[in-house]
Amino acid sequence: MSEVLEQSFVKQLQENQNIIHKICRLYTGDADAHKDLFQEITIQLWKAFPKFRGESKFSTWAYRVGLNTAITLYRKNTRRVSTIDFEKHPFFIPQEEYNFEEEEQLKLMYQAIYQLNDIEKALIFMFLEDKDYREIAETLGISEVNARVKMNRIKGKLKKLLNPQGE
Amino acid sequence: MKELDLLKKDWNKNTHTFEQVPEREIYGMIHKKSSSIVKWILVISLLEFLLWISVNTIFNADDYLEKIAQSELIVFFKTLTFLNYGVVLFFIYLFYKNYTAISTTVATKELMKAILKTKKTVQYYVWYNLGMVCFSFILGIIITFAYNPEISNLKTQHANYGMVMGITTVVLVVVLVVILGLFWLFYKLIYGLLLNRLYKNYKELEKVEL
Repeated sequence: MSEVLEQSFVKQLQENQNIIHKICRLYTGDADAHKDLFQEITIQLWKAFPKFRGESKFSTWAYRVGLNTAITLYRKNTRRVSTIDFEKHPFFIPQEEYNFEEEEQLKLMYQAIYQLNDIEKALIFMFLEDKDYREIAETLGISEVNARVKMNRIKGKLKKLLNPQGE
Repeated sequence: MKELDLLKKDWNKNTHTFEQVPEREIYGMIHKKSSSIVKWILVISLLEFLLWISVNTIFNADDYLEKIAQSELIVFFKTLTFLNYGVVLFFIYLFYKNYTAISTTVATKELMKAILKTKKTVQYYVWYNLGMVCFSFILGIIITFAYNPEISNLKTQHANYGMVMGITTVVLVVVLVVILGLFWLFYKLIYGLLLNRLYKNYKELEKVEL
């Protein structure tokens, strides 16, 4: 493949790499696995790049390929235990402003999300990325109505995970 | 759900909290080999094609048929070999078509379907070959009984010929069943390891549609 194509790809990926980091963060539990999945997604993006016509934004295109790689193509089991310490995650740089209560809530929330299955994580990821249900449904290959139903179920599941006693 | 809103806020606030991978590293990454399940299916499938083509080439019955010297059998087996190569070529074409149809830019469910379809092609190919092994085996026994002059001699020389042949056939059938069983186990294991997660996720997506 031509050098121009390669340069254009690397430049766009470099600018949009956070989207891939976010997927890796959801689907892996440590720095090695994160790097490994990042690399596999990069390879898959590069393989698909010649057909990328620029009809959609690079980031939109990249998150679809990224999610497909994480859910379907990635060989290693990416599900890990729920006790992940995000502050110790090498790809995580803590923010200056700190609110202990919020931080604690977030930590629990991230841990709950870790316990979801691959498909549920994909829905949550797109929800967090502010994608509408039409796009979520299209990306996963399900109907819009079912995407909504599934999202509500996931919310219920998260509630239960955060509050097992159901108070 | 207020926790989810909080998370959403944090998620988007933390956009720049990831250690950035420099351009030169991305250049390095795109020249590395993929280790995806699709890559593994391709490797296994190519080995599969090679294995069965070599089995067909190595275990050639031409010498045996010449010994029996029945012209109608020779024609029959030549036709069978010819047909077999046609079927193998067809399988390779099907596999190539399905493999190249796998794309990461389609919907997740479609991608999963495409991968499973490619895997199925190879599995049908393997079952076809195992079927041919059984068929050749049964045919071999029949021909041996009907045409082989050595067997005809045995028939006249030994009183308990029937029992010996009976036992031999049973032993051969058991060996065949064991070989088939081992193949089945081997594929269960290989594809089980490789596609377990895919099956689980595919089922999960199907469940959403129920």
